[in-house]
Amino acid sequence: MDRKCLLVIGVGLLLRLVLFTAFPSLPTILAQRVEISTPVTSYKRLQEGLFLYTHGVSPYDGGVFHQAPLLLSLFSILPDSTILTNVFYVLADLLSAVSLVQIASSGVSGVTPHHVSPRKDNRWPPWAIAAVFLFNPFSIATCIARPTIVFTNSIVLHSIANAVQGNRAPAFVSLAMASYLSLYPVLLFPPLLLLTYDCSKAVSKPSIQAIGAICTIPFVTALFVYLKLSHVITDSWEFIVSTYGVHLLLPDLTPNVGLWWYFFIEMFDSFRSFFLCLFQLHLFIYVPGLCLRLRKQPLFALITLVGITSIFKSYPAIGDTSLYLSLLALYNHTFPLMRYTFFLAAAILYATFLGPAFYYLWVYAGSGNANFFYAITLVWSIVNALIVADALYAVLRDEYETERPELIGKDVVQI
Amino acid sequence: MISFSHRSRQWLSRSPLSLFSRLLTTITLLLCFTGSTTADTYDENLLLQPLSGQFLLASFNFQSLGPIQTFNKQLFELFPRSLGQILQYTHTRELHLRFALGRWDSELWGAQPGDGQNAGGTGVELWAWVEADDDAEAEARWTSLNNALSGLFCASLNFIDSTRTIRPVMSFSPTGDYPSTNSSRLFLLHGTLPKEPVCTENLTPFLKLLPCKGKSGISTLLDGHKLFDASFQSMSIDVRPICSPINGQCDIEIQQNIDMVLDISRSLQRKDSPVPRPRDQHELVCDTTKEYASNEYCYPLDNSFDLPWSLSDLFGRSIAGSCPFAVRHPPTPHVCIAAPKDRLVQPTEAATEAPSSPNGNRCYILQENQQFDVSLPKQEPPTIPLRKEPLLYAERSFTGHGQEHGGVKTVLRNPSAIDFIEVVYLESLPWFMKPYLHTLKAELLPPPRDPGDDHVISDLYYRPALDRKRGTQLEAKVIVPPNSVVILTYDFEKAVLRYTEYPPDANRGFDVASAIITVPPHRRRSDGKHVPATSIRTTSLLLSLPTPDFSMPYNVIIFTSTIMALAFGSIFNLLVRRFVAVDEVQRVDFKGKIAGLLGKLKKTKAE
Repeated sequence: MDRKCLLVIGVGLLLRLVLFTAFPSLPTILAQRVEISTPVTSYKRLQEGLFLYTHGVSPYDGGVFHQAPLLLSLFSILPDSTILTNVFYVLADLLSAVSLVQIASSGVSGVTPHHVSPRKDNRWPPWAIAAVFLFNPFSIATCIARPTIVFTNSIVLHSIANAVQGNRAPAFVSLAMASYLSLYPVLLFPPLLLLTYDCSKAVSKPSIQAIGAICTIPFVTALFVYLKLSHVITDSWEFIVSTYGVHLLLPDLTPNVGLWWYFFIEMFDSFRSFFLCLFQLHLFIYVPGLCLRLRKQPLFALITLVGITSIFKSYPAIGDTSLYLSLLALYNHTFPLMRYTFFLAAAILYATFLGPAFYYLWVYAGSGNANFFYAITLVWSIVNALIVADALYAVLRDEYETERPELIGKDVVQI
Repeated sequence: MISFSHRSRQWLSRSPLSLFSRLLTTITLLLCFTGSTTADTYDENLLLQPLSGQFLLASFNFQSLGPIQTFNKQLFELFPRSLGQILQYTHTRELHLRFALGRWDSELWGAQPGDGQNAGGTGVELWAWVEADDDAEAEARWTSLNNALSGLFCASLNFIDSTRTIRPVMSFSPTGDYPSTNSSRLFLLHGTLPKEPVCTENLTPFLKLLPCKGKSGISTLLDGHKLFDASFQSMSIDVRPICSPINGQCDIEIQQNIDMVLDISRSLQRKDSPVPRPRDQHELVCDTTKEYASNEYCYPLDNSFDLPWSLSDLFGRSIAGSCPFAVRHPPTPHVCIAAPKDRLVQPTEAATEAPSSPNGNRCYILQENQQFDVSLPKQEPPTIPLRKEPLLYAERSFTGHGQEHGGVKTVLRNPSAIDFIEVVYLESLPWFMKPYLHTLKAELLPPPRDPGDDHVISDLYYRPALDRKRGTQLEAKVIVPPNSVVILTYDFEKAVLRYTEYPPDANRGFDVASAIITVPPHRRRSDGKHVPATSIRTTSLLLSLPTPDFSMPYNVIIFTSTIMALAFGSIFNLLVRRFVAVDEVQRVDFKGKIAGLLGKLKKTKAE
């Protein structure tokens, strides 16, 4: 880590601390934004759960708290001080930034054992990747609003950083933690496995099956330990229904930036279970396809999956998008190959500014109805989906050009 | 004896079979009478009390008492059979049912009659002690009780499901005696329907339960048009067992109460001019102390005299004699008037004035088959109505704006100058209103001198809501110091519901049941006087939730599915297809292709 990285990280963290201290009411205001806090990550709900937990009422025997029990015990150990809590969230962002620097320094985005990008020298330096994360307004807002998605994000990044460095066990123990906290990171298991396999430093590589077995054991063991610990903490298994059940069955229809809430408000009762299954399975469909097609670049398969879950998971927030965008910066050398950069940038700004305005018109002013905000979530989802698709196009095109260097700068079609 | 001979005359004209059944009934009745020495007793009483601001409180009380053994053998004398059978079938030992409309204005009218024990929250409120082996059985019996009562009273009581049922821990205690029942087998369940519009269809079955069924006695005054025109009205039914501490003899008691507050001027206007119109100038009493007072300008003075009224003016009819079941020896008063001593009261001649009661009320005994009316003539200067200071004033309201989150603020004021008062505050909230308990704050005004002395909440019971399964139950023991105000506040979040879960008038909002404030019986510290259990209910609240567009289901399904298909298509399109340079693929010439197709078609035609 060079001086520039340290400087960027220092300034990024300082910015967060300054925002916390200079605007003491900002965290409360942002924590109430539906775009940032969801029922499964909200800080206010975490406080409620913590209050019930410390007063001897099971927080999982209620409809408000849907977060993992280990978060409860973590926050009950933390001293009851706003400053310390804020510092804790800033430290989580520090871990994310450091992990991003590690991933960028490893150079996996440009060079893998099966693929060397012809544009690998155009990659941004690690400090720039850290800056993309630290100065992204979405990540800043997410950190200030203190949803628990911040921890999931830094653990996912930490896991990837370990994987690119060839540390198998820590990578999968972290992934287990991320899956334990918010379920959907479990989808990242296959690409992470491939990434670990490609990045292992051992001279004589074991077979992929052996690596699979070696990595599954710490993942499953860690997951089991986390669940068992939670069982010990809460003294019952009811937290499973109240946390993962909520991710899967969507009982709470609070609006968010995703596609699920309005769809299931308007869904006919007899088709509800069918579409719930369909929406969940839809997320799984991408995993094998991406892992096979992007076998040469498993890191990008992983990033694309992060992007897809950030659009199609049951309770998405802008924190998920900020994780995807920061990871996407690792592939900035392929950006010139993207086709709709201007349109996508304009549309994402459009959704960002109109979203809060339309939400206000619906919920507070009463001069608009739910369709206003729904329309913006549609735009947001379509923009993100197109970013994912366009970035995928750029990376595949880049990969194609290593096979056919003579086609650089020429038009191609798909057949 | 008279009725017996009347009956025997009827028998002659009946068929032998009917005669036989009648005979059987009589034998059973006779057996029953000889078996038990005490028959059912019945009392009814109407209390009229003028209130400040030209209002009149009319409290009807009907009470019957009978031995529990005959009740258990299904031998109902005065106890209504329809209700008795429901209670026995559902093993309900004690029942409290309330129908209420309007708001009791305690600032103006003072303490509620009967210490608020007969009043319910807006809409319908029901609580009962059900005997059962376990929780599940109690729940099942509670459901069948609700369904049966729903049919009996023509009310939507069957909508009291698990989301509207709570099990209060501190607020209620049984009022009956249970010497032979294990208290662990008694389950208390409480349900509310704040949206229920109480109306005539609930009054008719209520009157049917009375022995005289509204045909004679004070219940003849109860007419739906007048009752539901009142500023506040509450109907209640309480059934409980009472055991004598001396001989252990148990009776079952049913009390039916109706409290109504009539706006005297409104009721008189209804009679005199059914179409509302402004009063003539000569009828106005003007405040001449105003500087602008002249023949042209008048500042009308209210309450410059007591309005004259009579029962027939206010209720549209007079009392049609006494109910035969309520005639007792020695006679008990039927109609009492709690007015100041200097207020003139003129009863009709048909009434016998009862000896003056210790509390200074003027009471009358009704005569059978003789109309009774009482009038209070116009009186100047006005008398000051009797007013009892309530133990506590309570108000509850919503704070905040928007349809996303909000807050609840309850103000409890103790008017006493010396006495501390301990109350139990109970909230039963619907599941779609999600309170944050960590934001529950109790503020004391004026602030205590010692800052560490502001622990006004001494005990708390909280059961969080489960989506679509049960509502929130919050019970807090609050101590209100003398001459001070306690302000309870908490935040809540509004859930968005599925579009089928909204009522047809979704934008009207959802009713939130009244908070119930119970003051347990205690001995006043200042004068050592015993204060009976008192309850106060706040008004219900109207919660507005964010609403989706109800006309959109197909559009939403189509739009969202399109986006998902688009994402799926564009990603898999990239995953499954190969890249090729443009010049390596054969150009597909659409013109040529179409021309070729047309040529083929022509060929086939020619053949």
